Amino acid sequence: MLSYMVRRLLIAIPMLLGAMSIVFFAMRILPGDPCLAMMGDEATTEALEDCVRHLGLDRPLLVQYADYMWKSLHFDFGRSIVFQYTVSSYILGMFPHTLLLVLASSLVALCVGLPTGIFSALHRQNPLVDYSSRLIALLGLSMPVFWFGILLLIVFSLHLDLFPLIGGGDLTTVFDMIAEGEVFEYPEDFLAAVWDVLHHLALPALALGLTLAATVSRMARSAMLEVISADYIRTARSKGLHERFVIYKHALRNMMIPLLTIIGLFVAIALTGTVLTETVFTRPGLGKMLVDAIGARDYPLAQGAITVFTMMIILVNLLVDILYAVFDPRIAYK
Amino acid sequence: MATTGNTATAGAAVEPAAFDSEAYQRRLSGRRHRRYIPIAAGMLMVVLMLVFAVLAPLISPFSPSAQFSDYVLEGPGGRHLLGTDEFGRDVLSRVIWGARVSLQVGLGAVVVGFLVGVPLGILAGYKGGGTEATIMRCTDMLLAFPTLLLALIIVTALGGSLINEIIAIGVALTPSFVRLARSMALTIKENDYIMAARALGGSPLRLMVRHIFPNAVSTLVVIATLYIANAIRTEAGLSFLGLGVPPPTPSWGNILSEGRQFIKCCPWLTTFSGLSIMLAVLSFNIMGDALRDLLDPRLRGD
Repeated sequence: MLSYMVRRLLIAIPMLLGAMSIVFFAMRILPGDPCLAMMGDEATTEALEDCVRHLGLDRPLLVQYADYMWKSLHFDFGRSIVFQYTVSSYILGMFPHTLLLVLASSLVALCVGLPTGIFSALHRQNPLVDYSSRLIALLGLSMPVFWFGILLLIVFSLHLDLFPLIGGGDLTTVFDMIAEGEVFEYPEDFLAAVWDVLHHLALPALALGLTLAATVSRMARSAMLEVISADYIRTARSKGLHERFVIYKHALRNMMIPLLTIIGLFVAIALTGTVLTETVFTRPGLGKMLVDAIGARDYPLAQGAITVFTMMIILVNLLVDILYAVFDPRIAYK
Repeated sequence: MATTGNTATAGAAVEPAAFDSEAYQRRLSGRRHRRYIPIAAGMLMVVLMLVFAVLAPLISPFSPSAQFSDYVLEGPGGRHLLGTDEFGRDVLSRVIWGARVSLQVGLGAVVVGFLVGVPLGILAGYKGGGTEATIMRCTDMLLAFPTLLLALIIVTALGGSLINEIIAIGVALTPSFVRLARSMALTIKENDYIMAARALGGSPLRLMVRHIFPNAVSTLVVIATLYIANAIRTEAGLSFLGLGVPPPTPSWGNILSEGRQFIKCCPWLTTFSGLSIMLAVLSFNIMGDALRDLLDPRLRGD
């Protein structure tokens, strides 16, 4: 088991380095000077030279590359050009919003996708269930999250006025109150702050979660179909066990393993989904930060955001691989 | 097949059995035809979209960039069937012209991914060893990026234009094609006819081009249909983020993104462009799904 984990880790490290290299070189093959792009044509020669020196672009490419790789591993991405903060402090401030959105939308997706997927697998002989579940899953797969988000905004924010149109709530207050122990001193203020955050979270989580639910539902369906045709299910049935018992005790438990792969795949999809979702709902977060940084040609910020995204995805995949082996020890010995 | 044959011969001898056999045949063919309904529906929508895109200059009522200053933000109905945007441009014409961008990028990107990915995948699967390890490690590295993120990085680097979008999404789709082609090559190369071809002195190149590729191509094309859906969705996403074709060229994503400011007064701007994206993606998904089930039901559910 330990050797398996080490092996996975050893595969993940070159993958991470490789992916980071891709980010670096993609940002460097930019047509034209990033400084020129950022400062516009009117910039003076001195200002341009200053910018080039500031970004370290006057050094040889290999030195820049080594510098980027080394600093990235320490979460040092330089300073944002637009905001003048360090990129890492900015990322740290945005990260909780994105994490919250990923967790909440995953919860929505799992709560909706799993039961429907399992249900449609169990009742696939009923053509009505089979066709409608497949059609709904296809609709969900085809629904662009940014349009769905806009529809939700039109209905629930503009017409029913139930949810805020923009923003992500005051997450820092919540954290500060927890950190400074004010939670018990002013419980009402704390609850109000939490409520505010959740209020802002509801629509984005619903938009992203429901579009992801289609993917989960399809995966759960095929996982269930695989489990249900296994020999031990036939054995359980031929023992005369009640069908409900067969499903709940035998099938569902064994579905947990394929389920893990689902979650792994899915976090990567959810993370990219945040880019679009945060933009639609004008919600602070890594994805919106990335898009804004690209729009403002703030290359250090964009590069930092992409690097962090990549790191997270590789990390989640590593985690899933390890959990996979924990739940199914056979994997470790292959 | 064998069962039907038996019933038919038995039916020749005994009268009532012959009647049953016919009913059985009819039921069977009915069931078989029902499987074509989704393919036909998906294909019809795809063809319709192609027609719209190709004939855009002929069928769109106005030029997509013509500004009618007297009709700014006009609702649907009347002279402008789907309304107008903030510059007084006809939404219907813009949506029709937007189909061009979506389809060009959707088809183009998949062709790029196919042309780069499939040869690499077949090479990896057939050769094995170091070649395979190198190709697959690179693929895994690219697979660490979800399609949209990878396309976003490439478009940022190259700048937003139609060609760059095709390249970006094409490259982002390549790893999936490599994986698929490799796994198909691995199965196909175990077949006896490959060994026979090799025994006859066929070069590796000949084996890959003349024997492995033709046996994999139908599955690859079917899966490619599903990737078109993915590519169209990604294109819309990029355009929505302002990284697609630059305005004033209409694309569904940028119509939607421009219409975002006006959701309060003029929801038609986002509605029709969003609906077009969904229908386009849906029709390719339906067609691809149905074709895949028809080709090999085991592939169902990714």
